[in-house]
Amino acid sequence: MTDLSAGAASGQTPRSLTQTDARTKKRNAAEKRFRAYGMAAIAAGMFFLVVLLGSIVTNGVTAFQQTFLQVPVYLDPEKLDKTGNRDPEEMKKVSTFGYKPLVEDAVFAAVQAAGIETAFEDAGDMDALFSASAAAQLRDRVLANPDLVGETVTFKILASSRVDGYLKDRVTRDSVARDKNIDAAHLDLVDGMRDASLVTKSFNWDFITGSDASESRPEQAGMGVAMLGSFYMMLVVLGLALPIGVAASIYLEEFAPKNRFTDLIEVNISNLAAVPSIVFGILGLAVFIQFVELPQSAPIVGGLVLTLMTLPTIIIATRASLQSVPPSIRDAALGVGASKMQSVFHHVLPLAMPGILTGTIIGLAQALGETAPLLLIGMVGYIATNYPDNIASGFFDPNSAMPAQIYEWAKRADPAYYERAWGGIIILLVFLFAMNAIAIILRRRFERRW
Amino acid sequence: MYDTASRLEGQVSATDIKIAARDVQVFYGDNHAIKDVSVDIQDKTVTAFIGPSGCGKSTFLRCLNRMNDTIDIARIEGEILIDGEDIYDKRVDPVQLRAKVGMVFQKPNPFPKSIFDNVAYGPKIHGLSKTRADLDDIVERALRRAALWDEVKDRLTAPGTGLSGGQQQRLCIARAVATEPEVLLMDEPCSALDPIATGQVEELIDELRQDYSVVIVTHSMQQAARVSQKTAFFHLGSLVEYDTTDKIFTNPQDSRTESYITGRIG
Repeated sequence: MTDLSAGAASGQTPRSLTQTDARTKKRNAAEKRFRAYGMAAIAAGMFFLVVLLGSIVTNGVTAFQQTFLQVPVYLDPEKLDKTGNRDPEEMKKVSTFGYKPLVEDAVFAAVQAAGIETAFEDAGDMDALFSASAAAQLRDRVLANPDLVGETVTFKILASSRVDGYLKDRVTRDSVARDKNIDAAHLDLVDGMRDASLVTKSFNWDFITGSDASESRPEQAGMGVAMLGSFYMMLVVLGLALPIGVAASIYLEEFAPKNRFTDLIEVNISNLAAVPSIVFGILGLAVFIQFVELPQSAPIVGGLVLTLMTLPTIIIATRASLQSVPPSIRDAALGVGASKMQSVFHHVLPLAMPGILTGTIIGLAQALGETAPLLLIGMVGYIATNYPDNIASGFFDPNSAMPAQIYEWAKRADPAYYERAWGGIIILLVFLFAMNAIAIILRRRFERRW
Repeated sequence: MYDTASRLEGQVSATDIKIAARDVQVFYGDNHAIKDVSVDIQDKTVTAFIGPSGCGKSTFLRCLNRMNDTIDIARIEGEILIDGEDIYDKRVDPVQLRAKVGMVFQKPNPFPKSIFDNVAYGPKIHGLSKTRADLDDIVERALRRAALWDEVKDRLTAPGTGLSGGQQQRLCIARAVATEPEVLLMDEPCSALDPIATGQVEELIDELRQDYSVVIVTHSMQQAARVSQKTAFFHLGSLVEYDTTDKIFTNPQDSRTESYITGRIG
């Protein structure tokens, strides 16, 4: 070392700046390598993101399309309203069984009118084409408007999941070979009906607004009720976690003495943020359902459990943003004679607001996608009633939630539900993207420089 | 250089004592930061605290309006009387005290609000104005006192943080005087300012002396000589010497003071 510096100092040959020495070359190479690693890491991340989003979209986007049979239905007064006085109370006595033959006849008549060649000679063979819920749909429509009876109404009948799958290339002639619900002849018929525009695909609003359906009717299942359940839960989380979290952080950050006890609290809050969510689920089951005896499957319980989960996130984010407010602002407020509380609420909190809101929304987004604790407290209610009747309408009624609904669908055997699960994920992601966008907008809007 | 100080010296003796500190000790945990400081600060006078970094002058200044209360580990002994009342008495509310003893900080720290709101904040929380017109008056008066009115009167709604450094510091002074304090504490108010802004603020300090007792902490001995009538020299937490500025700078009694002002220590 001494030799080197002595040599450099004596400067026998002046070093040229245009020639890089070995050491510099090595350093530059290391830097280049590191940049390459970084870019490779980002590229890998982007690649996985694209694959993920791509697979979600390609698998799920078909859930937003639904196949319908568009046929004129003759609403036979003989069958629907024998007395002929169009009294809805009396007409209610005709159950969906009374309507099903009407639909079968209508489909058969339409097939024959269109001149489609088919081996089927009986209207009863048509029922593989339309959903089991079609009769109920028709009945609802008639009861809502009794004057339709006796007329011929063009009606969009929900196709069965097999027909729907056939139009979406999920069901093929090979796959129906052992299917007892439908056979290849039906698919030939569907081909003919498609050419005659009797079978069409259109946007599936019911998937977004509808309720869950039974295992055998995937074509009818929708996310609407689960969305409502998630909405109620988020209301509970927002209403509890935001005030509690912000109050706790303000107290800890601005008022509490710094001692062992507050250190302990701080460490525990950080630890709580890392507790697996299923632990919160079992805690909620033990405390809220078994001890407090709140109703099972209710958004209030789900909301409370998710509040517990979200609190650490909100507290940590709030404390971080309170800490980032420069102490000179506090000094300034105290210096003009503001009380501690005035300095916090007039000056510190407004400056910390963007961070708090961002943290809260990120916490909410986390809670929105949380599944495990909901399974433990039974937030997987099977709600198949469409609104407005008897729908899970409040905080105390059994309900489901979006991620739990997706999980339920993914569990079911029918491949049609697989598509619904992906579609549900798209809806969930849209909500999450929207919430993150709101977080960004709020942060931009409230951001102030000092 | 010492002209101002010597010219004003005659008036000093005529004023009475505003702040009396007796045997003040300050501890930060185990660290004995201020040792046995006793000092009488006169009304309508600029008193400068000088000394090397870490000598405790800012700490002592912050005792005078109990800003040290915000530091958990700080402990204060002895007594500090303002107008004969012990400010560390249990019955004294620090919030009321700080309305009476205003403070200007080292770094300009306007609130990230409009210029008007910056100045109006103190009067608002202390209920000094009944009507909006009152408040407008108070704000204008404070800004005039801080020699800032002419520069900002057309943009009172502009953010205070958008002003230049010197203007920001004068805004902070306006904010401090808006609450009608009797004592004004200044903790190195010019250390973040350029020479021109420093000159403006110093001029302002000299004017403020007519109404307030001003206590200023400064690193610049020239500044102490320019603006103050009395100077206290702190060293290692003790008050070494306290006398008229003229005397401290021309004929210091203590050898440490002499070493400091001639640049041998600190």
